[in-house]
Order: sequence, then structure tokens, then C-alpha cells
Amino acid sequence: MNISIINDPFMQHAILATLLAGVVCPLIGVLVVTMRLSFIGVSLAHAAFAGALLGLILGVNSAIMALIFSVIAAGILGPLADRGDFSPDTAMGVMFTSALGLSFLFLSLIPGPETEALGLLWGGVLTVTQTELGFLAGVTLVTLLTLLLFYKEVCAVLFQREIAESTGIPATTIFYGILLFCGLAITSSLNIIGGMLVFCLIINPAAAAYQLTYRLSTMFGLSVLIGVLSGWLGLIFSCIFNLPTGALIIVTSSAFFLVTITFSPKRKVHFQTIPKDGNYG
Amino acid sequence: MSLILEIKNAWIRYPQKNALEDVSLRVEEREMLGIFGYNGAGKSTLLKVIIGLKRLDSGSVMVHGLQLTPRALLEIRRKTAYLPQCLDTDIRMPISAWDVAMMGRYGKIGLFKRPSRSDREFVRTVLRQVDADSYANTPFGMLSGGERQRVMIAHALAQEPRLLLMDEPTNSLDLNFTRNLGNIIREAHRRLQLTSIIVSHDAEFLSEICTRILLMRDGRITRNLLPDEFRDDRLVDRHFREALQ
Repeated sequence: MNISIINDPFMQHAILATLLAGVVCPLIGVLVVTMRLSFIGVSLAHAAFAGALLGLILGVNSAIMALIFSVIAAGILGPLADRGDFSPDTAMGVMFTSALGLSFLFLSLIPGPETEALGLLWGGVLTVTQTELGFLAGVTLVTLLTLLLFYKEVCAVLFQREIAESTGIPATTIFYGILLFCGLAITSSLNIIGGMLVFCLIINPAAAAYQLTYRLSTMFGLSVLIGVLSGWLGLIFSCIFNLPTGALIIVTSSAFFLVTITFSPKRKVHFQTIPKDGNYG
Repeated sequence: MSLILEIKNAWIRYPQKNALEDVSLRVEEREMLGIFGYNGAGKSTLLKVIIGLKRLDSGSVMVHGLQLTPRALLEIRRKTAYLPQCLDTDIRMPISAWDVAMMGRYGKIGLFKRPSRSDREFVRTVLRQVDADSYANTPFGMLSGGERQRVMIAHALAQEPRLLLMDEPTNSLDLNFTRNLGNIIREAHRRLQLTSIIVSHDAEFLSEICTRILLMRDGRITRNLLPDEFRDDRLVDRHFREALQ
């Protein structure tokens, strides 16, 4: 690999895009992983993908359509997950399959060659435009600021929504906010990582960080570190081996997860920790 | 003593079975009220109604002199602490006992503010009061059932409530921890001049710490007893026999 490639504007865009996606996706990942709603990323990613495809068919900006679809999906998932007679898993499963069905339907309706659609599917970090980069930077900044401003309320909601609500924290609003930001993170990273893979960048770094720490703030930091490293290493491997960047970013983040789960200090918890009164309450 | 809670003709209707049927209840300040009944009697629903987590189909609820409406909800919740029955927490959850206790204070601190030094000092004190200060830095998921309950009581006390609602606080605790928890609750109730409502199916626990006990069945309050009357096994036995029939 020729190191001078770094001076090319497309590569500088790619480095910046993987940095931003490596920050925003894992931040959202920490929220959904600790709430045990990991599948929500999958459902919203597929909804965003379906929206982007519809955008291509209608000749409308695909990012806007992806955003609309993921926000609508988040708006449907929230109340469905809240219904006592409905498991959140079921709601997310219905949303996932519906979005997948729509994606295939829209894919078949695209006139002419499907190159652009497949680009949305697999992503194209090396072709990221300045507008897309600006959108991603904006979403990353807003997500970071919102998390900093509402950090303690978010922590309370992650621990237990019902208790947070009962102490006067607007837990339902924060929960819907998390879903909305999940949709935003997915939409803004769609062109970089790809519709089929973006949820991996949400889940894998957060799941890896979850294995390593008992502190939530450390988990946020570690998952961002793993996300950014996955992005950059994936980019480097892509240049060396001439393989799709999005897929390599995901493979790298999965490798991080495998390493952390193998060496996790929490792995021993299951086998060694016996609560003092013999139960976990 | 002034009235802290008044529920009038509360109904929650479901197609199969009503969760609450014409429940009326008055609780005076400083009371330690127990609510006893078998599973599905409506005890937990009643607590959730008081804190505004469940809505009535008809009837009214007055807490701290405020009618329970969406507008008054925040004010009511700031003066009321609630310990739910089931705390389904992952053993690997990255949150410490200290974090959980501090969360009780977040509603009081308000949005856009960080916990101050006095908030931290307050939480340290309540953790000490419930004998949980020695494991404040331990991950919450790794605590035993009894230790978790103490931390949850610290969470509730950190709120500086006037009304404390506890749903099955002795669930899955052994006899020793149950007795210990009873002492902690009784001491906090006395020292902080609380009004407490405890839902439990542990008859012995309720009769030891409560000043009055209600029996619930099929969404209705069927009896209002003093601890001595409640200890009379025949009454409680009959209540359960009737429920089974």
C-alpha cells in the first residue's frame, strides 16, 4: 500500500467518515446493548435501507428517505415495545421482517442497473461526499452533546425505566429519544458502512466494551475506541487487500468482540461468583 | 395526623378480570401500611396507581394533597419513592451500587445539573444508614438479593421522600436478611418520619413492622386489620380459603 494515498481527498474523507461513524454508532450501541434491545439496531437499519431504496425509485434524496423511514420505524417500535402484552423482541422481529420485505420489493422496482442500490447495501466509504460527511459530523456532534447534557438521566433509564420514571425523570421521552438517535446514527452511516452492516458497528464495539468494564462511562469510552479502531483498521485492510471497506470494518469489530469475550474478566463471574445469600434476588 | 393518600372508588378493568374493583383507601401521615394478598390480588397494581405508572379507568387518587393528574405527577413523584417488585438486572451491568443509590437523587437534582458535593454526601449517608457503604463500589449485578434490596432502599431514601412504596421487598430473601431488612425499613421510617406502604405476601414480615394491614383479593380490599388481628391465623387462613374457593 502506498502511504501517499493519505494525501488524496477521497482518502481523507474516508478517514474522517470512519472516525465519525466509529464514534456515533458505538455510542448508540452502548445504549441499546445495556437496555438489551440490540435487535433494535437491526430493525432500524433495515427500515433505513428500505427508505433509501424508495428514495432511489422516486428520485428523492435517499438519505432523507432513509431518515424518514428509520424515524417512522422508531416511532412504531417504541409504543409496540411498551405494550405489556407484546414482547419487545416480537415487535422488533415484525419490524425487521417488514423492512426486509419492503427492501426486496423496492430493490425489484428500481429501474435500470442496481449499482447505486447495491452501494447502499454494502456502503462505500471511499466515495463519501462532503454533504454526507457534514450530515454525519452533525449527527455525531448532536449525539455527543445530548449524551453529555442528559448523561445522568440516560444512566437511570438504562438501569431501569420504571424506577427512573417513578423518580420524576422523563424516562419515556428519553427512551424515545434513544430510538430517534439510533435512527439518526444509522441513516448518517448508511452510505459508509452499508444498510446490511451498519447495525454491526452499533452492536459489536458496545458488546465488546461490555465485556471489559463495570463502569458505564468507561464502557462508552472503550466502545468508541473499538469503533474507531475497527473503522480505521477496516479501511487499511481494504486498501491493502482491495476488498469492500464496510465488510472489513465489521469483520474487524467482530474480531475485537471475539478477543474481548475470550479474555473478559466478566467471563469468570458466571463460574466463580456465588452470592452471599445464595441467590441473585 | 393529616391525610397523605386518598383513593376513591378506583377501577381498572380488563376483559378477563378487573385489576382493581372499587378500591377506596385513606392513609394518614406516618402510617406503616401493609397490603397482603395472594398473587394477582391487585396489590402491585395499587402501588403503581399511586405513583402514576398505571392509569385508572375510573375513580380518583389524591397524593400529598394533590389530585393525581399528568400536571401534578412530577410533584407527586418527587415526594414519593417506589421500589418495584422485580429488578431484572444483568449480572454484568456496568453500574455500581453507588450509581444506583445516586440515581434516586437525579429527579431532585433536575435536568442539566450534576450531583453536587452535598448530593454525594447525602448518598454516602443513606448508604451508611442501610449498611451498604462497604460495597458501594461493587457492581450492582454482582450483589446478593439482600444487598441489592438495601441499595434499592438507599436509592429510595436518597430521594428524600415523604411517602415510601415498596413492592415485595422480601422477595427471595432468606429469613436472616428479611429480619434485617425489616429493621432497616422500620428505622428509616421512624427517623425520616415517613409514611410507608408495603406490599407483601410475607404475613410474618408485615405483622412485625406494619401499623395496619389490608387484605386484598381479586382487585378488592376485603379487610382492614390491626397487626394483632392479622396475626390471628384464622382470619388470614380464611381469607386465603375464600380466595381459593
